[in-house]
Amino acid sequence: MAGEKEKRAINRLESMRPLRAKVNETYLKSVEAMQAGKPAVWGMLNFYYGDPVLKAMDIEVVYPENYGAIAAATGVAQQYLDRANADGFPTHLCGYSLTTLGYASRMMKELKGQIPPEAPLGGMPKPLFLMSSAAICDARYKWFQSLGRYMDAPVWTLEAPTPGVKEFFIEGYYDRMVDLGVKHLSSFVTFVEDMVGRKMDWDKLDKTANLMIEINRVWHEVNELRKVKPCPMHSRDFWSAMPAALFLAGDLEDSLGLYQDMYKEVKGRVDSGTGAIPEEKYRLVFAELPPWHSLSFFDKLAERGWNFVIESFGYRPPIPIDLSKVSDPLERITRFNLQFFAGYYEDARKQNVLGGAFAYPYLKYAREWKCDGALLHPLISCRSASTHLPYVSNMLMEKLKVPSLSIEGDIVDLRLFNPQDALARAEPFEETMEHYRKMRKQEGLDW
Amino acid sequence: MTKVALIDKSSNLISTVKGPTGPEHRQLANEVMRQALEKVSLQIDDISCIVATGYGRVNVPFADRQITELSCHARGVFSIFPNVRTAIDIGGQDAKCMKIDNGRLISFVMNDKCAAGTGRFLEVTAATLGVKLEDMGDISLKATKRIQISNLCTIFAQQEVVALLSHGERLEDIVAGLHNALASRIAALAQRLGIEPDLVLTGGGAKNTGMVRAVKESLGRELLVPEEPLLTGALGAAILAGETYMKAVAASGAFSAKPRRLEKATFFGREHR
Repeated sequence: MAGEKEKRAINRLESMRPLRAKVNETYLKSVEAMQAGKPAVWGMLNFYYGDPVLKAMDIEVVYPENYGAIAAATGVAQQYLDRANADGFPTHLCGYSLTTLGYASRMMKELKGQIPPEAPLGGMPKPLFLMSSAAICDARYKWFQSLGRYMDAPVWTLEAPTPGVKEFFIEGYYDRMVDLGVKHLSSFVTFVEDMVGRKMDWDKLDKTANLMIEINRVWHEVNELRKVKPCPMHSRDFWSAMPAALFLAGDLEDSLGLYQDMYKEVKGRVDSGTGAIPEEKYRLVFAELPPWHSLSFFDKLAERGWNFVIESFGYRPPIPIDLSKVSDPLERITRFNLQFFAGYYEDARKQNVLGGAFAYPYLKYAREWKCDGALLHPLISCRSASTHLPYVSNMLMEKLKVPSLSIEGDIVDLRLFNPQDALARAEPFEETMEHYRKMRKQEGLDW
Repeated sequence: MTKVALIDKSSNLISTVKGPTGPEHRQLANEVMRQALEKVSLQIDDISCIVATGYGRVNVPFADRQITELSCHARGVFSIFPNVRTAIDIGGQDAKCMKIDNGRLISFVMNDKCAAGTGRFLEVTAATLGVKLEDMGDISLKATKRIQISNLCTIFAQQEVVALLSHGERLEDIVAGLHNALASRIAALAQRLGIEPDLVLTGGGAKNTGMVRAVKESLGRELLVPEEPLLTGALGAAILAGETYMKAVAASGAFSAKPRRLEKATFFGREHR
């Protein structure tokens, strides 16, 4: 009806909006820092390891991975992808890397260091240095090395040994990992001090580490609330709200307050029985990285009654751990970082699921969030976010009778994702979910 | 292809029609339905319930229900082979593998966005070889040598075929190699789903004797093939239409069908020329 507000398929959280705005704030501040002659750094998703160090040093950080997603979501990625291809990078490289390599090429080769005028959110300024990470995959640090060459800036790669489940429990292994992590982080602090010509304020680092841990604890609790039926918060809100916890985007004290606000809003929905979509017919887990350019795809699925109740292990806060007795902030940070990877290991070992950090969490998610199905999004351009997915699919079926729908696509490259084709597969998948709902009941599972 | 299957109250197939699918689905659906009715001297109002399926299912204005092709295939195959547990459908646009339990679709996988796992692969390469698509299967059975087509991409496979011809390889061996390449992709898809017997092959691919041989060899399993493999989806749609009708009648004494207008459908509210 004319004049009536269009009803949206997903009932978005109001408390998500200021958290989403943290991303814009981050880019704005980095450009302001550059204009004021202060340092800005390009950082890689490093799972709570190098970020608190930069935060405590008052260095503005932008994240090319995040920027790749933004470029995709705002529709400007294509020209950067084309530019990267023109520079000789093959199309099957990671979409984030291609986008930002194209961006770097345009900025440095064409615009002599000026931010491209079409760049969304004000763009990423030329960095003083780049903070890379060995976590997740080798392609990531090779990408930053290339970016470093375009930018003529040094690159520090954070070490991130990620053990398998079995290896993790070898006697003394964990302690040695902590020792290595602390030593390495200490070297990183020295590197940053040299780069910016200032000394670390250790009290500030201590406070920053505590804030980071507390933010992620509250964020974890928010997500625990999503176990109820109907689920009060959709994955789209998770992805929108995560940067302040995952990248430490924005002011940390402010972010903590915003996540607490979100907890209150989600709890309110739980108490009132309000779901994130009007009629929750199916509860789904999503793995791994979403198609940022086509998030409205999830609205179409919401119209069919698909509620995405849990998602993306790689973006989730670590399972809370008490680190209050660890006095050294570097050790506290290191242990928190290790908790991200190994927080599920004890549980995984008990379940005899040795797939480790990437696969096991989905078993936990599907079971505890009572999912009817899994939507898997293998990425043509990313091994790390894809190779565990067949294992996840088999595990969910064997252990929980939860079926999976696999839809190939890409995080950035629109050409590699076909929403119409994906939607055509969604409809018959409902029949599959219905079937396995009955099967689970027959097998004594309670959802 | 656009197909129509009409069944009677006892689910006996009484009329079928196949017509090429063009860009104007709605007009063609109208025409093939008219032909199917004409064959058995029926009027559109004589039809109790109509289910449309396939990619163009939303473009059948006189259909009462739209049901996905996967569900219809599963039901159609089951009506022919009641012990079916796995079905592979090789179509021109996609290839799909279905797990079926008592006529119901319980799981499925489809090829990705690439033409290499579909009938299009043979169609494109047949054109390159100057061979009719319908002759490809028989030609492949005359192979005397196993040639590996290494390119998964349809476009690169075309180039590879040209290169093989220029190296003096026999047409029969190349065609067999193309069938094996397609079959191995489809076999990988089916194995991802997990194959349980009875295994049925349907779709245009199942009309190709060379393809049936190649899939059988790739999977190392026996295959059942319906007499008319192109019609299983339409047959399933007809059976589901019958069930829909009976269910409605049992529940409320009547089925509320859409107004039956079998006139030429139009796009954008007027005749599209």
